[in-house]
Amino acid sequence: MNMDRELFQILGVTLRMSLFSTCISCLIGMPLGVLTGKGDFKGKGTIKKLTGTLMGLPPVVAGLIVYMLFSKNGPLGALGLLFTVEVMVVAQCILITPVVIGITESMTSINAKSISETAKGLNFSKRKTALLLLSENKQALLSVVLTAFGRSIAEVGAVSLVGGNIQWKTRVMTTAIMLETNKGNFSFALALGIVLLLISLIVNVLASVLVKEDKNA
Amino acid sequence: MLEINDLKKIYGDRTVLDIDKLKMNKGETVVIVGPNGSGKSTLLKILSGVIAKSEGSFGFDGELYYLPQQSIPFRKSVRKNILFSAKDSTDKEQRCNELLKELQLMHLADKNAKGLSGGECQRLALGRILINKCDLLLLDEPSSAADIEGTEIIENAIKRYREETGCAILMTTHSPRQALNLADRIIMLREGRIVEEGRPEQLLSAPQTEWGRKFIGMWKID
Repeated sequence: MNMDRELFQILGVTLRMSLFSTCISCLIGMPLGVLTGKGDFKGKGTIKKLTGTLMGLPPVVAGLIVYMLFSKNGPLGALGLLFTVEVMVVAQCILITPVVIGITESMTSINAKSISETAKGLNFSKRKTALLLLSENKQALLSVVLTAFGRSIAEVGAVSLVGGNIQWKTRVMTTAIMLETNKGNFSFALALGIVLLLISLIVNVLASVLVKEDKNA
Repeated sequence: MLEINDLKKIYGDRTVLDIDKLKMNKGETVVIVGPNGSGKSTLLKILSGVIAKSEGSFGFDGELYYLPQQSIPFRKSVRKNILFSAKDSTDKEQRCNELLKELQLMHLADKNAKGLSGGECQRLALGRILINKCDLLLLDEPSSAADIEGTEIIENAIKRYREETGCAILMTTHSPRQALNLADRIIMLREGRIVEEGRPEQLLSAPQTEWGRKFIGMWKID
């Protein structure tokens, strides 16, 4: 019974962390990705190089940086956020945002110039053009969201460093699997893994339903 | 209406557009012809603000609309594509229906525009522009993907719009027949420069340059 309660609690923390970090990363990364994919501007090359480098950032390094920032003597230590879900979201965002920028850029660069040119010719406002770019690339952006979510829910290195894998507080599916494996509880670890896979499957099915509805609209 | 002075576009060490002077009057239709890479589209892109000029100046009165060569159909129905492009006004539904009829797209009105053929897409792209009133219309090869019937529909719509609004039109084409059908004045561009300019009959009968004579000699007017 207690095990079931703990499992649901871990599941809740995992979903909360993954959804928040996916939302924040997409809100920051998608506009930047569309912007870099859309046109030529000063600093575009630098953004692309930086994004490419950060896409390969090892999770433990991201975790270490966030840990140092939020530790007692760090510049953000006064916030007292270390070993909380909030700081796990911060670490996740550092890892996922470059991925979101990179994939959005490569996906939207295919049609962003033509859409912008069409919109410019029709005297659309900047806001209307931005909304058009997003709606025309809805399906591509949906796969970006799925990738971000997938990366977030599967991440273990950074979240265990900054979250501390604290029972009833910051333990998530991946860190729980690691702990149970270390303890030798392979069957429970495997069960947790299956639950994690099921979540991914549900999210993907929901996304494909959304895409189908959009195609039929 | 439109005035261009010493307008240049330079990429690296290559000057792709170099126009000393060009003036257009209100209500006038000027058709630009010339081989690929002569700077026709570059000129329209600069005037519409899609790309920046390198040197020189230009100015025009009133509102400008621009139809690029590759105008993307939006992921909406054909009707919604036109309505989405219209400025807010009480009669936009009525004008949309008139355009759908004129461009012979009424039977496709509720279909997703992504499924249209190349020629239908061009008619739709023109409809999205013509739903609004403007003073200067820039059209970049507006019927390049259309068949003979589609081209006639497009040309008739352009003529009707011109008569109704009195707008000036600056357009490019590879079709001599279209240039002669629509132009008050034809401009020939070569390597970014104006090499011939005049009324259609004037250009046909007495081109001023050897290149102009050769270029007109290649025209097969159907």
